[in-house]
Amino acid sequence: MNASKRRVNLLAYLILIVGSILILFPLYITICTTFKTQAESASSFFTLPKSLYLGNYQQILSHPTLKFAYGNTIYITVFSLLAELLVMPPMSFAISRGMHHRGKLFKALYFFFLLGIFLPFQVRMMPLMKLLGDLSMLNPTGMVLLYLAHATCESMFLYVGYLESVSTSLEEAAYIDGASTVQTFYQIILPLMRPILATVMIREGLAIWNDYMLPLICLNRSNTMWTLTLFQYNFQSEFNVDYNQAFSCLVVASLPVIVLYIVMQKQIIGGLTNGAVKE
Amino acid sequence: MTTSSASHKRRSHTMRKEQYLTYLLMTLPGFVLYCVFLILPILMGIYYSLTDWTGIGTNFNFVGIENYIKVLTNDRRFIQALQFNLKYSVFLVAGIVIIGFILALLLNRELKGRTFFRTLYFMPAVLSMITVGLVFKQIYFYVLPKIGQALNISVLADNVIARKETAIYGILFVHLWQGLALPTLLFLAGLQTIPQDMYEAASIDGANAWHQFRTITVPYMMPTLSVVLILAVKQGLNVFDYVSSMTKGSYNTTSIAMLIYQNAFERNRFSYSIAQAVLIGLLIALISFIQIRYTNGKKVD
Repeated sequence: MNASKRRVNLLAYLILIVGSILILFPLYITICTTFKTQAESASSFFTLPKSLYLGNYQQILSHPTLKFAYGNTIYITVFSLLAELLVMPPMSFAISRGMHHRGKLFKALYFFFLLGIFLPFQVRMMPLMKLLGDLSMLNPTGMVLLYLAHATCESMFLYVGYLESVSTSLEEAAYIDGASTVQTFYQIILPLMRPILATVMIREGLAIWNDYMLPLICLNRSNTMWTLTLFQYNFQSEFNVDYNQAFSCLVVASLPVIVLYIVMQKQIIGGLTNGAVKE
Repeated sequence: MTTSSASHKRRSHTMRKEQYLTYLLMTLPGFVLYCVFLILPILMGIYYSLTDWTGIGTNFNFVGIENYIKVLTNDRRFIQALQFNLKYSVFLVAGIVIIGFILALLLNRELKGRTFFRTLYFMPAVLSMITVGLVFKQIYFYVLPKIGQALNISVLADNVIARKETAIYGILFVHLWQGLALPTLLFLAGLQTIPQDMYEAASIDGANAWHQFRTITVPYMMPTLSVVLILAVKQGLNVFDYVSSMTKGSYNTTSIAMLIYQNAFERNRFSYSIAQAVLIGLLIALISFIQIRYTNGKKVD
C-alpha cells in the first residue's frame, strides 16, 4: 500500500516536472533572449546571457508609441473597472431583490440580460464598429462603455448569484429603522459584497487588460490609440526579423500582469475560480 | 391600535413604491448600455446580413436570404474553416478535459512543492493570448527547428506552423499551453468540494482506487466538467487570437472567426460575413444547449 503510494507520487512528480519544464522553457528563452544582442543569440540561443545587455529594452522603452499603448491600456482598464464598480453592484442588487419580492419585471430583466452571454460576438462585431463610428466613439472612451455594456451579462450573473446567499433580514431591519433603499444598499449590502467584488474585478481586469479582438476592431486605425496587445502585435509585424526586440516588447507589455500575479497570486487564483465554479 | 396599524401599512406601502422606483433607477444605466451595445448591434447585424452592403459607403440593396444561401451552398472557404474549427475543437476539448483533469488530480495530492507547482501551472492564465501566441511564433520559427536538427527529429526540423499538415497542431499546442491553466484550476476547486469521508467509507467497504474514482470522483465532478466543457467548446469554435498571432490563417488554419474578420475588413464583404457569423452563432447556441441538457442530466444530487 505504502510502496504503491510512493510509486504514484514519484510518477506524479515526474509528470509535474515535465510540465513545469514545458511551461518554463518558453519563458526562459524569452527572458534570456531579451538580454542578448542579435549576434549573441545567433551563436548561443539556449544559454544564459553572458552579460546583461540592455539595448533591446532601451530601444523598446524609447519606442514612441509605447507610452500611448501603456496609457491607453491603463486608462481603459481602470475606467472600465471603476464604471463597473459604480453601475453593476446596484443594478445586480436591484435585480436580485426585485426578483426576491416577486417582481415579474425584474425576473424578465434578469433573463433578458442573461441572454447576452449566449449572443456570439461575431454577429455584433461589425455593426458594433459601425455604430461606434457613427457615434464617433472609436476611441479608448468608447471601449470603456463597451466593456461596461458587456459586464451587464456576466458580472451581473455573478453578483446576483452571490446576493442570493446574502440574507435579506439585515436590510429589512434597516428599512424599519427608516433607511432609504440607496442608503441600505451602500451602507449594508455593498460591504457584504466584498468577496464577489474582488472576484469580478480580477476576472474583468485581466480580461480587459489582455483583450485583443475589441481593440483590433475599434482602435487599430491610429497608433496613438493602440492598447498593449495591439502594440505587441503591430510591433511584431514591424520587427519580425529582430526577435531580440520582439521578445523584449512582449516582456515589457506583460510585466505588470506578471508582477501582479506574483504579488497577489492567492487572490487572483481565488478570484478566477470563484466566479466560474458558480456558473 | 387601528391608526398605528394603518400608518404602518401606509409606510410599508410607500416604502415598497420607493423601493420599486429605486430598483428601476439602479437598473436603468446598465439596461440602456446593454440595449445600445449588445441588442442593437445584433439586430443591425441580422438586418445587414439580408443586404448586399460592402461595409463602405451608404448604398446597398435588400437581398433577402441570398447571403445565407451562398454561404451554405457555394462557399468552399466557409466549409474549410468549419472543418478546421471542428477538428480544432475536438482536439482542444479532449486535451483540456483529459490533461486538465490529470493535472488537477496530481496537484491535489499531498506532494512537497505543491504550492510552487500550482503557482507555476496557473501563471499562463494571466498572460494575454496574443503575447503567448507571439512568443510561440518566435519559438516555432527560431528555437524548435534548432532542437529538431540537433536531435534529428524531422517533424521539428522545419517551422511547425508553416506547413499545412502540422500548423493546426502547432496552434493547438499553444492553446493548451495557456488554456489548460483555468480548467485545471476549476477541476482542482471541484476536487476540493468532495467530502473526504466518502473515500474513507468506500475504502472500508473494500472499493479499490479505480472504483472510488468512478463512483465518487466522477459524479461529483460533473458540474465542473459541464462548465469546463462549455468554456472549451466556445473557445474552440471562436479561436481567433492564436490564429491571428501565429499564422494569420495561412497553411490551412483559417478559423471561422478569422474568415469572418477577413471577409469584413479585408475583402469588403461586410453583409456576407455577418451571415456567416449568424450561422456560426446558431451552431454554438445549439451545441451549448445540447451540452447543458446532457451534463445536467448526469449531475449528482
